[in-house]
Amino acid sequence: MAVRAQQRGGLSTALIALLPAAIIVVLVGLFLAFNPIASLREVPPVEAVAFEQTVLTPNRIELRIRNDGPDEVTIAQVLVNDAYWAHTIGDPTLGRLETTTVAIPYPWDDGLPLSIALLTSTGVTITHDVEVAALTPRTDARTIGIYVLLGLYIGVIPVAVGLFWLPALRRASDRWLGFFLAFTLGLLAFLLIDAFAEGLEFAAQTAAVLDGLLLFAISALAAAMALVALGDRLGRETGSAGQPRALTGLALAYFIAAGIGLHNLGEGLAVGAALAAGEVALGTFLVLGFAIHNTTEGLAIVAPIRSKAARPALWHFVALGALAGAPTIAGALAGGFTLSPAWSAVAFGIATGTIAQVIWAVGRSAGRDGALRSSFGLLGFLGGLLFMYATGLLAG
Amino acid sequence: MRVARRRFLRGLGAAGLAGGAGALASQGRSGARAAAVPGHGGHGGMGAHGGLGAVGTVDHARNGFTPRQLLTEFDTGAISKDASGRTVREYELFAVNKEIEVAPGVFFPAWTYNNRVPGPSIRATEGDRVRVHFTNGTGHLHTIHFHGIHPAGMDGVPGAGEVGPGETFIYDFIAEPFGTHLYHCHSAPLLDHIHRGLYGAFIVDPKGGRPDANEMIMVMNAFDTNFDGENEVYALNTIAFAYAQEPIAIERGRLQRAHVINITEFDPLNSIHLHANFFHVYRTGTKLVPDDFTDVISMIQAERHMIEFTYQHTGQFMFHAHQTEFVELGWMSFFEVS
Repeated sequence: MAVRAQQRGGLSTALIALLPAAIIVVLVGLFLAFNPIASLREVPPVEAVAFEQTVLTPNRIELRIRNDGPDEVTIAQVLVNDAYWAHTIGDPTLGRLETTTVAIPYPWDDGLPLSIALLTSTGVTITHDVEVAALTPRTDARTIGIYVLLGLYIGVIPVAVGLFWLPALRRASDRWLGFFLAFTLGLLAFLLIDAFAEGLEFAAQTAAVLDGLLLFAISALAAAMALVALGDRLGRETGSAGQPRALTGLALAYFIAAGIGLHNLGEGLAVGAALAAGEVALGTFLVLGFAIHNTTEGLAIVAPIRSKAARPALWHFVALGALAGAPTIAGALAGGFTLSPAWSAVAFGIATGTIAQVIWAVGRSAGRDGALRSSFGLLGFLGGLLFMYATGLLAG
Repeated sequence: MRVARRRFLRGLGAAGLAGGAGALASQGRSGARAAAVPGHGGHGGMGAHGGLGAVGTVDHARNGFTPRQLLTEFDTGAISKDASGRTVREYELFAVNKEIEVAPGVFFPAWTYNNRVPGPSIRATEGDRVRVHFTNGTGHLHTIHFHGIHPAGMDGVPGAGEVGPGETFIYDFIAEPFGTHLYHCHSAPLLDHIHRGLYGAFIVDPKGGRPDANEMIMVMNAFDTNFDGENEVYALNTIAFAYAQEPIAIERGRLQRAHVINITEFDPLNSIHLHANFFHVYRTGTKLVPDDFTDVISMIQAERHMIEFTYQHTGQFMFHAHQTEFVELGWMSFFEVS
């Protein structure tokens, strides 16, 4: 009897909880039926279109566009470099958030700027500038190969090389160990700022209606919280009396590798997208710069496992290197072929959240060692920041 | 209301909440549109220009006027004689706001005389008494300022013949001198009143007439559809590419006479160039003998010339502004000579 009464109580609780939702549904229905603010909208429509992807193939421009304004938009004409031009478009009328593709047969010139304007039915022009027109990479084996190679060069190899600092670290004195841990922190702080700035940049390019800034922020918070939860679980397993301990050793190394890996995913996205959009030339310096820049990341990963007691098996090093470096390849491919700015904002959001949490974890670990308080520690932190800045200049 | 609701559903569909609503979104106007200007083969001549041109066609019925009407129709007024035997011509003009499709699918909130841009091509003979009954059917002040010789009170400027909403004024003057003239609104701010479409041709024929010819009105105008101070549409008689999509049919060997008037706003100059031919220029149309023989002539705003030409060959002949930007933004036309 008691059980049944309780069940009934649970059911009615659920019903009561649903009541506000039901009221909302009714109110929405009433609003749609009578639309009391319709009379306020006798103003010209607000027309906005976001350009999500531009694909340039020989004698052809293809644009993926999204209506990111509050009102319907009808694309009436397309102008290329101030000339009305033939084009095909799926449904020229785009409802809110709808996307379509505009294909323009146009003899564009390699290496020169292109200005494409959509002229809407109300005479509004929405312009998209291609800074330097270049062939969009095709998804063939050769191009994919180039992107994979690029990812290897700027991500995987440098990080793996950096891991070889471990023997040197192991011979270093405690003071130098503190220095390198602090160096790692400085390096991570640099990556945090970098990921944050990149994320904001992509957020700004994201279709307004998708709110890139919130996408970025939510991704960052979600990533940080997920890592906090994971860290707590790992800490609890190793800790005593249910009190989560600061992460140390191999677990911390994995955390750092994960954070760096996600940053490199974003970095790969940025490089891939920039290449695809023809915004940067694939110069030797870019590749070399990123390579040197990222070598330092290997050092950061092995810093927590420099103690002579910890002797991880060799496969751990392979795993750490892959975790930190391989995402660059995935990022370069994704950025080069498909992704819209919204996804890049999400990727950099995840990287930002992850790195922030990793800094927290490394900081706790280093703080416990007292490594940061020394002048060596401070110099190390600054050194990490400056080293990343200086090597970043090479890639700039 | 139903439209608004459907639009709301479309939004949901796009957000992935309602699959059924997504199907709605793909209805409505659809289908790929082909290139604009008919051009491959016999008609229209823009095939050689690849993809240049507007896509689709203007709904002239909805506009209420056709490019051909704008080109060839004149308003000679209601004719009577006064006591002295002088010909009196009475014209009815009214100002009205109207949305006009200036390029396929592109709508411009125009201010018009008699529902069209340019307004009626008013025609009289030198020495006729012209009486233009002007009624303002809009919410703004408007005038009709004629280029010609007339008393100060008939000038159609603020303080002399400016007409308030719902009011009427009669511009009353003698048509002189003969020539290719124009009229336009002169209320302030002047730029708005001209750019929005309040202008038209005012043709005064010489007393002795002119040789028989096929006469055409060519008003070079432009529209700043997004109101940023630069034109998105250039045209001959308002509709971008209109005479490229439907070339003007003329006869070989027949004298052609065009009254070319520049009323382009924002750009200091406009021009006209005929392909494969030369024309006689009668500057402002005020002489009976030509001033020049050329194939391109430029004009500032309100400058206008009468040009005469004859085609010796059949086929399609381009004519257009010789400012390539204007050409590619709509001021491109063709003669089809047969």
